Order: sequence, then structure tokens, then C-alpha cells
Amino acid sequence: MKVLLILLPFAMVVLGLLLWLLRRRPNLNAGRASLENAAEKVLATHYRYFPQVRQALSPADTRYLLRRLPPRIAKRVLRERRAVARKFLAGLHQDFSNLERLARMVAALSPVVSREQEFERILLGMRFRVLYLWTWTRLSTGSVSLEPIERLAVLIGQFATRMERAMAAVAAVSKEEGLSAGLSA
Amino acid sequence: MNHREIVLYLVNIPFELVLCGLVYGRGLHRRLPFFAAYSTVFLTCTLCFGLIYQRFGYQSFTTYYAGWIISGVNLLGRCLALAEFCRYSLQAYKGIWAISWRILGFLAVLFLANSAVDSWGQPNWIATYVLTIERDVGISSAVLLLVILLISIYYGVQLEPVQKGIAFGLFVLCVVDAVNDTVLRALFTQWILSWSHMRLRAEEVNDWWNTIRTSAFVFSMSIWCFALRKPLPALNQQPELLPANIYAEVSPAVNMRLRAINDRLLELLKP
Repeated sequence: MKVLLILLPFAMVVLGLLLWLLRRRPNLNAGRASLENAAEKVLATHYRYFPQVRQALSPADTRYLLRRLPPRIAKRVLRERRAVARKFLAGLHQDFSNLERLARMVAALSPVVSREQEFERILLGMRFRVLYLWTWTRLSTGSVSLEPIERLAVLIGQFATRMERAMAAVAAVSKEEGLSAGLSA
Repeated sequence: MNHREIVLYLVNIPFELVLCGLVYGRGLHRRLPFFAAYSTVFLTCTLCFGLIYQRFGYQSFTTYYAGWIISGVNLLGRCLALAEFCRYSLQAYKGIWAISWRILGFLAVLFLANSAVDSWGQPNWIATYVLTIERDVGISSAVLLLVILLISIYYGVQLEPVQKGIAFGLFVLCVVDAVNDTVLRALFTQWILSWSHMRLRAEEVNDWWNTIRTSAFVFSMSIWCFALRKPLPALNQQPELLPANIYAEVSPAVNMRLRAINDRLLELLKP
């Protein structure tokens, strides 16, 4: 009886999980069109606004404001900056998810996939989510300085250029094949 | 066989007939031949059972052995249908299928090995082993179904409504079987030494076991019938795969970027 009491709720939870997994989701059936769409999303992301965010979070800027403003207003400004930093983190999360999605789509549409790359990405995704939650909590409690976030924004900007090149390669292949299909038709 | 079981047995037959009719009428046997065979095995086994009961009675050894053989055939049919389902869901995506079947195979072997280890040294080893293997096949099938769904969601592969219905029906069967076998096995291993005192109790439990199992069958079949109520949609065109060099270029670049973002986040958290 004890076994049954443990197993039944467990079985119900697992059944609920299955129903949740079976609900309708965006899919790959659109093939390359959805891949190009995902590639566009990766390019049109938050990093474009990161220079402004970086400027807003720069320590020199903060020091200047603290020197010039009365303490009450300076505190408010710092609070608002932390809110900006949290928004930046949320944007980073979205960029990360878009990138992951693009990589998954490329993997799904590839004839050969590397196990190492796929497992590494799953682990990176899990690690990012844990770190993101932790950083968000610490930013909310004010126990992390804004300076490293500025460095993070620089990094995003650097990688964006590389990704643009990789995406251009995907687009070029798509166009070439579309052209050759058009010629052979 | 008590009154309740006879009613369920009689309810079962029309469901199985309708399911078989829908499977072959909708042409599912061309897409999922093992699942079609499984639904046919269902019907054949139920009819065979009826004939054996009528000819040899409920308490004979022939009925007892026929019962175990039919259970074994059903179990084998379900395993094949499940393996076919997994393959059908992802086979068009060659790269991810190459990874997925290895993961699924590993999980299946792991659970079967566990059942062998688990039943080793128990009183009445063979009987315990049969119950354990049935339980572990149920658990591993449920886990494999969840894993294949997770993989298809992770890579954005959409399942057809019929596939979803089949997955849900199989899952219900597997979960009910796993729970049932676990309880029965616990009772069996606990009370085997005082079997003569427990005989009546065990038979009562066995009646409930049969009732729950048959109800789960009926429930699963109604899910499959519901999924097959409409004609099957035309087969999706095979996805147009990318050249292999695109993955080789994009994937490491994306991973490198993700890794760097993580490293910086970690740096950010350092005191």
C-alpha cells in the first residue's frame, strides 16, 4: 500500500509532464525558411543597444553622478541603473536563447551532427540558466558591481560581428541552392 | 474471472475491432507497420483468450501458460511499436537521429540490466524476474517516450496529431503496467514464503490487477481511435537538409560564443 501511495502521485505527475510536452509548439516544418528567420532574429538582437547600456553603466559616469547629485537622488539613480542592468541581463538571456535556437535548427537540418558539440551546448545552456538566475538575484539585492556587466556588453558586441559572418555564410548557401534549383527548373 | 472482468473483456473486443479497422482503413499500417501489427496482435490475443477460457476453463494450466505467452507477445509487440515510433519521429533528421538512437538504446539497456540486478537473489527468482522485467520494460518505455518528446521539442521537430495520440496511449499503458507490476512484485516478494495463507488475498489482488490493466487498455485504445478519427494528413515532405559544412562552421562558433558569455557571467559573480 505504501508503494502505491508513492507511485500513484508520481505516475500522475509524469502523465501531466507528458501532456505538457505534447502541446503545440513552433516547429521546423517550414525548413530553411524558419532557419533564415532564426538567423535574422540572431542578428537583430539586443547587442545593437549595448553600447548605450555600456555607457549608462560605466563607472566613470556613476562616479560623476555621485559627485554632482545629492545623496537621495544619487541613490535613486543607482537603483535605476541596477534596473537597467537587469534589463540588459534579460536581453542577454534572449540573445542566448536565440543563438541556442539557431544552433539547434542548424543541427536538426544537418546530415551529420557532432555529439560533443551538442552535449556541450546542452551543458552550456543549463549553466547559463543557473548563472543567469544567480546574477539576477544578486543584481536585485545590489550585491554585484556594475563594472563587469560593462565588460560583458563589450564581449557581446565582439561576438556579434563573428556571428554576422557565419550567418552570411548560411544565407549565401541558401541563395546559391535556390538559384541552382531555379536554373535547373 | 469475475463479473467485472467479463464485462471489461466484452467491452475490449469492439474497441479492438474499431482500432484495427481505423488503423488499416486510414492506411497507418503503411507508415507504422509494427504499430498496426501490435493492434492486430491485441485483437488476435483477446479472441484466442476467449477461446481458451471457453475450452479449458479459467483455472487450468493451459489457460495459465497461454496467459503468460500472450502477455509476452503483447509486451514484445509494444516494444517493437515503441521502437518504430521513435524511429518514425526523427528518422528524417539524420544528424539528430544518429545521436538519439544511441541515447535511447543506452537507456533501454540500462533499465533492462537494472531489472536483472534487481531480481537477482530474490525468492522464486524466475517469477520475480518476469514481473521485474515487465515493470522495467514499462518504466523504460515511458522514459524513452519522454526522452524522444524532449528531443523533438529541443530540436523543434513537430509531431503529427496521430503520433501524439499514439505516444500518449503507449505512455498510459506503460505507466499503468509499471505501477501495477511494482505493487504486485512487492506483494509477491513480501508474501511468497507464506503463500498458502495468502492465496485468497493474492487472487483478489490478481483480479484487481487484471481489471486495472484491461481498463488501461480500453483507455489507450480510445485515445488511439480518437487520434485516428480523421484521415491521416499527407506525409510531410522530407526536410531539405543543409550541406554538412554549415554545421561544422556555425555550431563551434555558436558554442564558443555561449561559452564566453557563461565565463563572463561567472566572472561577474566572483567577489
